[in-house]
Amino acid sequence: MTVLTARQHFNFINRMTRDAPAFTHLALFIALTAIPLLATAALDTRDFLNAPVWQKPLQFHLALATYIVTLAFFARYLPTPMTTRKWRIYAAIVCFCILAELVWVGGAAAYGTASHFNIASPVMAALYGLMGVFAVILTSPSLAMGVVIWRNPNTGLSPALHLSISLGLILTFLLTLIAAGTMSSMSGHLIGTPTTNESLPILGWSREVGDLRTAHFFATHALHALPIIGLIAARALSPTTARATVWLSAAAYCALVAFAMVQAFQGQPFL
Amino acid sequence: MHPDTLFQIANPFAVLGWLALILAPAAPRLTDMVASLIIPLLLSVAYSALMLTYWSSATGGYGSLPDVMALFTDPYIALAGWVHYLAFDLLIGAWATRTARGENIPHLLTLPHLGLIFLFGPAGFLTFHAMRADFRLRTPNNGASA
Repeated sequence: MTVLTARQHFNFINRMTRDAPAFTHLALFIALTAIPLLATAALDTRDFLNAPVWQKPLQFHLALATYIVTLAFFARYLPTPMTTRKWRIYAAIVCFCILAELVWVGGAAAYGTASHFNIASPVMAALYGLMGVFAVILTSPSLAMGVVIWRNPNTGLSPALHLSISLGLILTFLLTLIAAGTMSSMSGHLIGTPTTNESLPILGWSREVGDLRTAHFFATHALHALPIIGLIAARALSPTTARATVWLSAAAYCALVAFAMVQAFQGQPFL
Repeated sequence: MHPDTLFQIANPFAVLGWLALILAPAAPRLTDMVASLIIPLLLSVAYSALMLTYWSSATGGYGSLPDVMALFTDPYIALAGWVHYLAFDLLIGAWATRTARGENIPHLLTLPHLGLIFLFGPAGFLTFHAMRADFRLRTPNNGASA
């Protein structure tokens, strides 16, 4: 591993700005707007569902910035940068959905109320439904990019790494759709009734009852986990073995998400 | 945090910005960055945090004068309003300082207007514009040759 110099660091961001301008700029914007939210979190003493009210908006800023900056990074393996007309329109819709999601979650926090699972009023119930649609739209570029990268013969990547990136992206969409979709059909993310409300720091998963957010987390991070496995496999193993390893890892990763879901439904905490 | 404590923290920041503007000729770019960017950004963070935290529990609104007055009965919202003044008055002060420099208006002549903007924002904005108009009329190479 080499440490990036300031110039290389700049080029790294430049490259992403060229390949996926909308996603890169939005990632930066979301990261910067987390600063006033951090100040708000320091000031606001209110709790919601036994967690500080601003924990969730901050998690969403972190998660969505990470997600689209990852997409912006992988955009270099597309046949064309995301600056063609079709990609631009699609990216704009995705960015709108991401911003709407953040405003919704942040707005609910400001009012000390629920965003997800809030069906207390017709307006909030309608918003929850609409945000479900937006959530699918904002997750869909992982599928689209995964398929297009899969079909691109000129990525310059080793076969195993190429496969792991495509599979990771596609699985992020499919597994998130299953994990988050199942969760949204429930009345809340917990299975069971907590008494001590002990939870993991930052992630916030319950340590005493089933928590469906664990499966959602693993599902959505397929686009990180599989390429890391692919990167290591491509370096350490022969091309054929490396590809087989990636396929097996993808299957194992699906099993991990399934396990996390089943465990949650049994009312058991992941950790 | 108690609103009085926050008030006492916010004020020195604004004063620092105004001090920078008074000393602007010594380091125009640095003082402009302090007064028109860094301090307003810090005050804006404080404002946003206050509003996001206390807006939902406040009564009143923007729709009528009694609504606005009801809004300001909440100490935190009143504090946010004060921080809003501090941030935006300073921005106008920085703008006036920058504009005066660009139009060759002596800094010493700008200072009284900065004082007015500091204390009575819009009144200082008016007097600064009056002086600016006067300078435009007096400058020989105005209009087409500018």
